[in-house]
Amino acid sequence: MIDEVRTVVDSALQLRGRLGVCDASTPLLGAIPELDSMAVVSLITALEERFGFAVADDEIEAATFATLGSLTGFVRHKLDA
Amino acid sequence: MSVSRSRAPFEAFFLSAGGGERFCVFYPASGAPLGSVLYLHPFAEEMNKSRRMAALQAREFAARGYNVLQIDLFGCGDSSGDFGDARWDVWNDDVALAADWLARHAEGPMHLWGLRLGALLALEHSRQASQSLAGLLLWQPVASGAQFLTQFLRLRLTSEMLSGAAAGKGTGALRAQLAAGRPLEIAGYELAPELAFAIERLDLASLAPQNVPARWFEVNAEGKPTPVLRRAAQAWSAAGVEVDLQAVRGEPFWSSVESSECPELVAATSDALALTPA
Repeated sequence: MIDEVRTVVDSALQLRGRLGVCDASTPLLGAIPELDSMAVVSLITALEERFGFAVADDEIEAATFATLGSLTGFVRHKLDA
Repeated sequence: MSVSRSRAPFEAFFLSAGGGERFCVFYPASGAPLGSVLYLHPFAEEMNKSRRMAALQAREFAARGYNVLQIDLFGCGDSSGDFGDARWDVWNDDVALAADWLARHAEGPMHLWGLRLGALLALEHSRQASQSLAGLLLWQPVASGAQFLTQFLRLRLTSEMLSGAAAGKGTGALRAQLAAGRPLEIAGYELAPELAFAIERLDLASLAPQNVPARWFEVNAEGKPTPVLRRAAQAWSAAGVEVDLQAVRGEPFWSSVESSECPELVAATSDALALTPA
């Protein structure tokens, strides 16, 4: 699951593999300069399309985008819901 | 298929219109003109992000013998007006104005080429155009105006999130503010309620072109049409519309973080135009 999320992050933010070797603790928000407000919207849209769920407004919070692990946890939670 | 890198000369000028002037760029066809193409840009920041691709495609069309006109709609780019005063109807009038200019200044059959929300403007115009149109070239058309509006409103939520502001309003509350007649400031753009709700009502399924063939291009990492767009194209096809959906591999240059190019899209679009019967 974490690899799929990583692929979506890489493609939505056009990092072209810049995340490199990463794990759940790899920081996203604050660590990737490309992650501005437009990029976050693109990333949410890409996750919705890739995994087929809808993100509610009140689910858009900074903690979700803190690390690759927190984002993967969010995706897993959405898929289980 | 390689894309030529020739730099066609172009002419920039202003067209007089309601509320001032519209900035236009005309790329003259090289050689005897085969036809003409009118470009309609996407919404807000997507317009800026896609400038380079629009210029690349326009030059390529010109190199292949087509006159190309690009217009900055009211309140956008270098045209008169503030974005907050822009209305869907005003943009529709701008499209008619540009098409009229092109019909008078360029020979041959006319095609409309639109990106994202610009593709929906092209579709609307094709249904009420006074000129006859030879075809539509639709780049990644917005499938649902309501969903598109939600994504635009989300920009406000994510920028609040990034600035560490207290939990802001959801898109529902933002829609309520619009419904109360109050404009919103989003990512540096003032969004008028009239424009927001006109966009919200747009739906690709109900904008099927009439008697005009449509060539539809999707750009994604896999280079395969996504189910949602394939279904929309199939619905048009079932309704008797001549539609051809093609996906090319590339990055979403209209929303990309860094300015990006998709030469495959330029080549595929140019080839599609060449195949359209004159």
